[in-house]
Amino acid sequence: MPNTYLDLVSFVPWTLIFTWLNLFILYSLIKKFLFKPVNNMLEQRKNEINTMYETAQQAQTNAEEMEKEYSERMAQAREEAGEIIKQATLSAQRREQEIISDAQEKAAIMTKRAEAEIAQERKKAYQEIKNEISDISVAIAGKMVQREISAADHEALISQFIENVGEV
Amino acid sequence: MAVEITGPKVLFTIGPVVVTNTIVTSWVIIALIVAVCYWLTKDLKPVPETKKQIVAEKLVSMVYDLTDSTMGKKWRNFAPYVAALFAYSFVSSMSGLTGVRAPTSDLSIILAMALVTFTMIQVTGIKAKGFWGHFKKFLNPLNLISEIATPVSMTFRHFGNIAAGVVITTLLYAALAYFSTVILNLIPISFIQQIPVLQVGLPAFLSIYFDVFTSFLQAYIFIMLTMVYVSMAED
Repeated sequence: MPNTYLDLVSFVPWTLIFTWLNLFILYSLIKKFLFKPVNNMLEQRKNEINTMYETAQQAQTNAEEMEKEYSERMAQAREEAGEIIKQATLSAQRREQEIISDAQEKAAIMTKRAEAEIAQERKKAYQEIKNEISDISVAIAGKMVQREISAADHEALISQFIENVGEV
Repeated sequence: MAVEITGPKVLFTIGPVVVTNTIVTSWVIIALIVAVCYWLTKDLKPVPETKKQIVAEKLVSMVYDLTDSTMGKKWRNFAPYVAALFAYSFVSSMSGLTGVRAPTSDLSIILAMALVTFTMIQVTGIKAKGFWGHFKKFLNPLNLISEIATPVSMTFRHFGNIAAGVVITTLLYAALAYFSTVILNLIPISFIQQIPVLQVGLPAFLSIYFDVFTSFLQAYIFIMLTMVYVSMAED
């Protein structure tokens, strides 16, 4: 009965069976070609977003840790620098004191030595003068003996002489 | 001038197997739907690069939203069937626009769809309440009648709406052809007299209601009733 028209309201059992098969096939194919790929992709997207969040979280934690460490180190370095400056200042002060006291000491020693030398020199000069005076006295005395001066002249000569010597 | 309104046409038979034109159209429609699905989901990326991916995601999420809100989250596996049912029903009804006989204007096809829903209702009921727990309510004959009325009413509602569209469109075309000949008979050239000029334009506006609107509405009603009845069978 090909190419025959059925009634508008008609029932064909084979159409029923074909439709069940069709529906099942369409259901399977829609599931396979529409729902499955989209669901897989959504799952993948979810995973990727989770990974990205985790990475971002990790990076932030790392950055925070590094910042903390950095500021700790900075504070430590500043402290150390302060300590170093303090130490340097102290040692410089100490050194300064040392140099000054050393210089003072040396100066004192030199002054003392100079004074001693002066005193010795004076002593020496005094001795030399004394010797010279004696020589001169002897010479004068010899001359006096030759001239036969009076006692008064003699005395006047000596006192005059001593007076002159005293001014040396 | 006689107008003949017929049902589906038998294309060929293999032994006892009868293949009507509505079944062959169904195959074409299924192939079309699957091809569109395949094309839409060909290169899905976690970061969408194409518009078709957005369409594919939107379609899937719309079906999930529909099943979630009507049946609840635990019925998510049901979503592909809802999508298949809706796509098949809607595209079938719309295929009437191209001049082929819409598969949904074949009573046997709609009955098959309704019987699937009916079977699902029974299976869900038995699964949820046990065999006796499900069937004991049919001791009340009114329950039995309402249970059988479910697939019958679903079938006749869908079939009636689409078939009515077919009938009205056929009648309209016949009437328009008749009036065109009446008007064109004023021109004494037989070739021109046979051109059904009035068939241009007017049927298009009517088909917005009878084909596009009704197709969508009936497909939507059919899936909504299927979802509601199946999820209701649990309690």
